Amino acid sequence: MDEWKPNPVVKPHKKRSWYLAWKYKLMNQRALRKLCQTGAVLFLLVTVIVNIKLILDTRRAAYEEEEESTQDYDDEMLNVEVPRHPASTRKILDVEVYSSRSKVYVAVDGTTVLEDEAREQGRGIHVIVLNQATGHVMAKRVFDTYSPHEDEAMVLFLNMVARGRILIFTIKDEGSFHLKDTAKNLLKSLGSQVAPFLSWRDMWTFVGKKGGEVYGEKHAKSPALSTWGDPVLLKTEVHLTSMEDAECHWPDTELNRRRRRFCSKVEGYGSVCSCKDPTPIEFNPDPLKDNKVFDVPVAVIAGNRPNYLYRMLRSLLSAQGVNPEMITVFVDGYYEEPMDVVELFGLAGIQHTPISIKNARVSQHYKASLTATFNLHPEAKFAVVLEEDLDISVDFFSFLSQSIYLLEEDESLYCISAWNDQGYEHTAEDPSLLYRVETMPGLGWVLRKSLYKEELEPKWPTPEKLWDWDMWMRMPEQRKGRECIIPDISRSYHFGIVGLNMNGYFHEAYFKKHKFNTVPNVQLKNVESLKKDAYEIEIHRLLGEAEVLDHSKNPCEDSFVPDTEGKVYVMFIRMEQEADFTTWTQLAKCLHIWDLDVRGNHKGLWRLFRKKNHFLVVGVPASPYSSKKPSSVTPIYMEPPAKEEGAVAVPAVAAAEQT
Amino acid sequence: MDLFRTAEKMGFQWLKILNKDPRLDGMDDLSGTEIPLHYIFKLASHAIHLVVFYERSGHYLWHGPLRLKQHMDRKFVPFRKLHFGRYPGAYEKPELLLASIDDLKVQIPKNPSSFLEEISHSRFLECRYREARAFFQLYPDDASLDAVEFRKKAKSLLHLAALTLNNLGVKFWLSSGTCLGWYRQCNIIPYSKDVDLGVFIRDYKADIIPAFQKAGLPLKHKFGKVEDSLELSFQGEGDIKLDIFFFYEEDDHIWNGGTQAKSGKKFKYLFPKFTLCWTEFVELKVHVPCETLQYVEANYGPDWRVPVKMWDWKSSPSNVQDNGVWPVDEWDDVIQIY
Repeated sequence: MDEWKPNPVVKPHKKRSWYLAWKYKLMNQRALRKLCQTGAVLFLLVTVIVNIKLILDTRRAAYEEEEESTQDYDDEMLNVEVPRHPASTRKILDVEVYSSRSKVYVAVDGTTVLEDEAREQGRGIHVIVLNQATGHVMAKRVFDTYSPHEDEAMVLFLNMVARGRILIFTIKDEGSFHLKDTAKNLLKSLGSQVAPFLSWRDMWTFVGKKGGEVYGEKHAKSPALSTWGDPVLLKTEVHLTSMEDAECHWPDTELNRRRRRFCSKVEGYGSVCSCKDPTPIEFNPDPLKDNKVFDVPVAVIAGNRPNYLYRMLRSLLSAQGVNPEMITVFVDGYYEEPMDVVELFGLAGIQHTPISIKNARVSQHYKASLTATFNLHPEAKFAVVLEEDLDISVDFFSFLSQSIYLLEEDESLYCISAWNDQGYEHTAEDPSLLYRVETMPGLGWVLRKSLYKEELEPKWPTPEKLWDWDMWMRMPEQRKGRECIIPDISRSYHFGIVGLNMNGYFHEAYFKKHKFNTVPNVQLKNVESLKKDAYEIEIHRLLGEAEVLDHSKNPCEDSFVPDTEGKVYVMFIRMEQEADFTTWTQLAKCLHIWDLDVRGNHKGLWRLFRKKNHFLVVGVPASPYSSKKPSSVTPIYMEPPAKEEGAVAVPAVAAAEQT
Repeated sequence: MDLFRTAEKMGFQWLKILNKDPRLDGMDDLSGTEIPLHYIFKLASHAIHLVVFYERSGHYLWHGPLRLKQHMDRKFVPFRKLHFGRYPGAYEKPELLLASIDDLKVQIPKNPSSFLEEISHSRFLECRYREARAFFQLYPDDASLDAVEFRKKAKSLLHLAALTLNNLGVKFWLSSGTCLGWYRQCNIIPYSKDVDLGVFIRDYKADIIPAFQKAGLPLKHKFGKVEDSLELSFQGEGDIKLDIFFFYEEDDHIWNGGTQAKSGKKFKYLFPKFTLCWTEFVELKVHVPCETLQYVEANYGPDWRVPVKMWDWKSSPSNVQDNGVWPVDEWDDVIQIY
């Protein structure tokens, strides 16, 4: 064969596709290859950077303060369906409210803040107040608006709550029976559509902002008188505001810092948290000259009645001569609100782990508090013991300063008390007068350290003994015939209506009309005459001066005492032996003074006032003062009524016998 | 507080140490706010250590230990060089005197050397209230009138003994049943028949017997002699007596002696060496062995937690040893009963 020579005319055969050709063409160009490589690397770098940035951003968002995050929130965000709110940014609260015959509950963001399904209790309208910036529970109340007057209490409470707070209402069992128009109108003004029409056994829930919008309301009418409305469950969302919006802008002082801490945690204390002109929390009572009780520790025995404690501390800190550094509040349990109140006033508070039950729990709390008081003040020889349900008179410390030396010098004294058991508005007159009595009234008193450490503390009732500490202290084994000094007009006022031994009726009958001193700086008369022997001389002097009343008349009648003022009268009653209080008890009953047990006597003698005259009652023949009775006078005898409803004791007036 | 702001303005850095208030410790569970125990003010290379003393029941001053919390700077000052703070301390309440030092008016103890001397043996132990409460859960306290009466008498006897010995300058500590009562239940054991104290024999003074006599506590019996197994017993009010055991120190142990009057038998009770710490017991500042557990276990054995009402001093203690018999010719000397 010949050598093949390429045909110069014929072109090369193009069998490949243009794509492949293009591709190979590209691959063969070095510059382009380089470009693609750098492009890929760059792309990789960019994605890495974006990823890192994303990671950092989400991390920052997770650590951001709640307050800052709420500021970023637009109203528009609320319309977005967010199935779960990230725990770190609680800008919206999930609120669940349940109302039914036997159970109520309220849950905020999954946490149950109220749950009551106990039988026979918690009936009425439950109210919860939330802080509009933090969602924290600030107050929890229940108003039994099935019963009368509770709606008034609810109106009072709601009026005290600051604007902007979130209010949650729910009914347990029945809450409409005594829900009157004033209350209904108030609820209507809060935005409730249902409240004006709430009726018997309806179930109702409502969440709204005071002075602002309504977050939700649900209602179920009761179909028939004998049945309750169906249970109602309201689920709603509440958006939180910023802290600034939730707080007042008081000037920055130490006091206001305390106020701010308190007011952003607790509600229901009214004007102490007002933005404008808040009530002062510091009081500057006049100092007391030559104050003998400035260094005496004051123990305030408290439980879980923080609104009582608030009222009591205000009056205590307003008393002349008070030394706030010596005050310690002992709270019987780890309750927050009483401690918040204590901190508001800048006082020291101590919490005690409660033990035992009922009155034994109270008695153990007293013991722990008294022991701790003397441990904290080892140099003190006395301690003032107060309770959280007492108003303290403005001259309380002045009264003690003038009388405390008696407790030091007279061994026959058991205590000094600010309370006169028989001192009612119609039976007490003289703020400068003191008495010796054979009882221990408590209710604001001074305890001698030696008495506590040597006698009481070592044999204080053990936790399983269900005894009242004050009844125990009054027993002869403890009192050992010693007496207490009391003023004619009490220097404390017992305002507690709710408590272990208290209720509305008891308060109304025995405490409401108690006379309370409001005169400052009273100079006590003749304090020296309260010592053991000097007092006897004083009694004899008084009895010598006293005019004997007409014993043929009925001592329960007002006319028994003439229409004079400032005179001294004496009356003799039958008292067979030291423990015979039959007549006295009936007399006390008809005079409307303390008659549940015998109080206020000193050797068979009682002292009080009637129609502004000093009135002495002597028990014959048990009292050593019986010798003062003229022979012509027959001591009055009053029998307890026969066990009939409504029977009233009638004095058995013996025929006037000439003996 | 103004003090801190002023100090800061002057260039000081300061540190505050707070802790629980021990005066709230007791049979009840109380909690209040923490109290300041120490302050340290630092400027350049100088430091001022402000120790806060609190007066406690029993007429003494107490200060707390210096313990740094997690977040505190361990290099703030050389803490180990500080004179106060390794342990809590108890001091006699000193009388103060206003003095002028470098034109500064300061208060100083009237007797500075006596105050300073107390530092080396000021270590204070709190009573173990938590353990005491646990003990009473298992073995409820005797609340009978007899128990209350006994405790009252024992307390006043202890106070009187302390007063007498302190006046003589004789160092003593709570021993035997009294020590066990402090350690186990922070109180006097109601069925312990007497009050027991310990004194090192080197601290013995002949004045002890007449001093107690003068205080109204006559000598009931005297066993042993200063050289060996000395033991004194004084009669208190009613049935209760005060036993003072004298302790003899050897190289590696400490012992006290006992004598059985009718047989002249001698007994020896051995204890591992111990040092003395302060504590507060029935409102009194008293010494107890710092190594109390060892001391109590030596005396009462490993079951010291269990109350034993029938105790025979000759055989019940775990550390008792026979120590022979007194020679008959010495009996008049070493066995004296009144």
